[in-house]
Amino acid sequence: MSLLSVNTVDRLDRPSAYYVGKNKRRSRYNDRDEEEHEREDPMSKLHDATTLYVGNLSFYTTEEQIHELFSKCGEIKRLVMGLDRFNKTPCGFCFVEYYTHQDALDCLKYVGGTKLDERIIRTDLDPGFEEGRQYGRGKSGGQVRDEYREEYDPGRGGYGRAYDDQRQREEEQYGEGR
Amino acid sequence: MADYERRNNGHRGGGGGGRKRRYRDDEDYDRRPQRRRYEEPLFVQVRRQLLTIAESAARRVEDDVVGIAKTVAENYEDEELRDTLINISLDLVLEQPMKIPFVAATALFTYNSKPELGTELLNKAAGALQKYIDSGSWREVKLLVRFLGCLQPLFEGEGIFTLLEELFARAVDLQTASSEDLLGLELVKIILFTIPYVMASPATGFESQASALLEKTDIIASTPTPWWTCLISVLQSQLQGESSKGWELKCLPRPWKDAREPEGDEPKPFEVVAKVAFPQITVPNPVPYGSRALFPEVYLSVYAGQEVDTVPPVSDIATSLMRDALVDTLNLLDFNRVATAKYLIDVDCYYTRNTFVKRATPFDRMREMAGDNTSWKPEDVAVDAVFSQLFQLPTPEHKLVYYHSVLTECCKIAPAAIAPSLGRAIRFLYNNLETMDLELSNRFLDWFAHHLSNFGFTWKWSEWVDNLELPPIHPRMAFINGALDKEIRLSFAQRIKGTLPEPYLPLITESKEKDTPEFKYSSEATPYSKEGQELMQLIRKKANDDELQPNIAAIEEQAQGLGVEDPKVPSTDALVTSICFVGSKSLSHVLSCIERNKDRLLAIGAASEKARLQIITSVMEYWADQPGIAINIVDKLLNYTIISPLSVLEWALTEHIAAGAILSKSHIYEMISATVGKVTTRMRQIVAARVQKGLYEPQLSVLEETLSRERVEMKNLFKFIEDSVVSVASGSNDELMERGDGSGDMPEDAILRQWGRRWLRVFRRKAAVEDAFISDALINATPVGTHAPTREDPADTAADGDIHIADADEQ
Repeated sequence: MSLLSVNTVDRLDRPSAYYVGKNKRRSRYNDRDEEEHEREDPMSKLHDATTLYVGNLSFYTTEEQIHELFSKCGEIKRLVMGLDRFNKTPCGFCFVEYYTHQDALDCLKYVGGTKLDERIIRTDLDPGFEEGRQYGRGKSGGQVRDEYREEYDPGRGGYGRAYDDQRQREEEQYGEGR
Repeated sequence: MADYERRNNGHRGGGGGGRKRRYRDDEDYDRRPQRRRYEEPLFVQVRRQLLTIAESAARRVEDDVVGIAKTVAENYEDEELRDTLINISLDLVLEQPMKIPFVAATALFTYNSKPELGTELLNKAAGALQKYIDSGSWREVKLLVRFLGCLQPLFEGEGIFTLLEELFARAVDLQTASSEDLLGLELVKIILFTIPYVMASPATGFESQASALLEKTDIIASTPTPWWTCLISVLQSQLQGESSKGWELKCLPRPWKDAREPEGDEPKPFEVVAKVAFPQITVPNPVPYGSRALFPEVYLSVYAGQEVDTVPPVSDIATSLMRDALVDTLNLLDFNRVATAKYLIDVDCYYTRNTFVKRATPFDRMREMAGDNTSWKPEDVAVDAVFSQLFQLPTPEHKLVYYHSVLTECCKIAPAAIAPSLGRAIRFLYNNLETMDLELSNRFLDWFAHHLSNFGFTWKWSEWVDNLELPPIHPRMAFINGALDKEIRLSFAQRIKGTLPEPYLPLITESKEKDTPEFKYSSEATPYSKEGQELMQLIRKKANDDELQPNIAAIEEQAQGLGVEDPKVPSTDALVTSICFVGSKSLSHVLSCIERNKDRLLAIGAASEKARLQIITSVMEYWADQPGIAINIVDKLLNYTIISPLSVLEWALTEHIAAGAILSKSHIYEMISATVGKVTTRMRQIVAARVQKGLYEPQLSVLEETLSRERVEMKNLFKFIEDSVVSVASGSNDELMERGDGSGDMPEDAILRQWGRRWLRVFRRKAAVEDAFISDALINATPVGTHAPTREDPADTAADGDIHIADADEQ
């Protein structure tokens, strides 16, 4: 209930640097093209946001598990699993929509950065789910970050898929008498 | 740390280089090697010093306190610096109460070096205090009064006591009107929590004022009637004890005491040259209620009754002082659980040196030190404060998961120190399960499973192995089963099985490991198996409602032939079981299945009460081994209004009461609580709509009617629980009496009656809280029959406005 304008410690219920950065880049680009276009503050879209982007999930984490954890911050209105664009299998992210903005903020504060299915998950305030956003945008169908990962992550399909393909090719070509 | 945005606009407008003086004069530089090459603005330095005041055990806080005051006073012309001091000081008072004595000490020295600046700070604090009094924000009032209390030596005459007396007069008025008034007690609490800080301040000669005030508060604080005054009466007697010991107040820091001059002069006692009058504060009569509902506070410790005290005993004033500051910190900083966890772990930095033993001192070591032990275990004191909120009734200030997250964070920051403390807390709670309030034992269960899920599900299950012999309805077995179920929900059965010692393995049956439970109609032995299978195939093919009808009709016809009382029951079973099976892949699958067959399901509920209950039965039976999924589906069915809240209660508390055995199942408690919660949440929304300002007829009457109707329904719901459970509690439940020889003396009968009593207590409290909420809210609601004020309101120039509005309407 404090009426302070600035807090003595950082707040965890702010949009991430990723969101801010991504939108800044976009708006700068737009400014140059269409100067007259009304400049919309990317933050204003988050004023009443009730949706969260949830990342770093294991491919094996189920809707039920997500529901079990995220409903601790309020009733869930909708849950959209992130899917591989080609196989339509979970690819490690989802959107959780609450009924109220406050529940979404509380989720950032209390659940973001804690573990689900024994992985630290990432939450970010999101302007809202739109059809198409449930699919991975990586080349091979999953999330971009899973393309070029050099470490092995058993929860997210092993090594990065780009390397995986290369490795597989090399294996197949091995001994083909070059 | 806080961002760097807080600076006065325009002050640096000269295009940079506005810094007139650096923190240290040149001769200081040869003593301390300069690490920073760039020029850090002075206000940034002071801000950091203030924000982190007392946080480091490596620095003498007494030096920092003097240092900050000196810097600011010497650079008095730096406006940005002055503002930093004033604003950050007050921010800390309002957000990090454990630092108040240190912030206050800085203010004292600032005043002595630069009275103008000290006075400016005082005035700003007084202005904020006035604002919080006017809005009824009593926690903020308490903290600012505490801050001013620490500054008592600056004031002429009685100083803060005048304000305390005035607050007391208001408390008396409120208490005279009603001895159960909680705001009056809140005011007394503020007074009592101020006195020790005044007495620990450098001000002297106020013993008689303090005792006089204590004598007065005694009348209110010791009123024996309501049991819940106990927190205040405990504090009252602690203070009386302290007063008889000459206000020793051992734990409170006196950072002004050992202040050394930077040049290494001898420490000087704190003296004030010219005092000021205590700022003018008006306490309105009557005092306003704030927006936060007040509830009686009870002192709770999960470290009570250990063989060695690791937290101060209830007789010690340190108990109340530390708990109060820790709890405020915890609740004020909910927006950064990591910082909160750090401050909790650092609790030993904010009290006198010998208050605590070294961090992470093992319990066994405490045992060896016992005897001359008057030092406490900092981790236990901190963890205890979090549990006091997690177990706050009826509800804590923030969502329960916040308190989970703080404990998780504490464990992450200092695992070696915190984990053993949590272990002892868990054992204490587990050992008290039988008598614990049922709401609280379920919070414990939920926290326990969630906590373990953050730490690889490791727990020393072996120490409870003996309890596996207990009957399944025993509270301890109910806890073990409930906890394992919750762990599985957050993970999966096989994983949890791998964390358990051998004797526990039978608890996780093979069917719990199955992702998709059997479809019972696949077995020829199940009645209506052929129709059931066909129905399932149709639902899988997303057939429309008309295509389902022949199968449904076939089942009902067959049932009629078999003499089934309500043929809709078996047809509903086949339908709902098929939906569950087809939708078993995930929650969204089952939801879209329900969605497609919504009309038929809604019609079933409307047509037959038995069939409506069958919907719930089919869901609960299909998912019997994964009750979490079952109650989740029930919850969604409630949202679709396919089933009603009352039908959920009937299903559990009449149809499946099983002599009371169902009351021992944690998922049933969860389901009933969630169902009741839906009703009360809706009720509160209606109340909020009813009491909003600027509402007139005819809307008032419409809302009033909805409210009255829903209020009756809510009461009926609570009455239904009461009537169903009271028979279990009193042992007069039919099924309970039919067990064994009917004497009610079977070994498990006592346990069943106890479950009944625990359920009653919870739902009676919920009913009372909701009823009080509605009544309190309606006190200030616009009465029914109030019409919108006519537009010729003499108060403003309405005539003009009239025309404008009329114009707008015509367009």
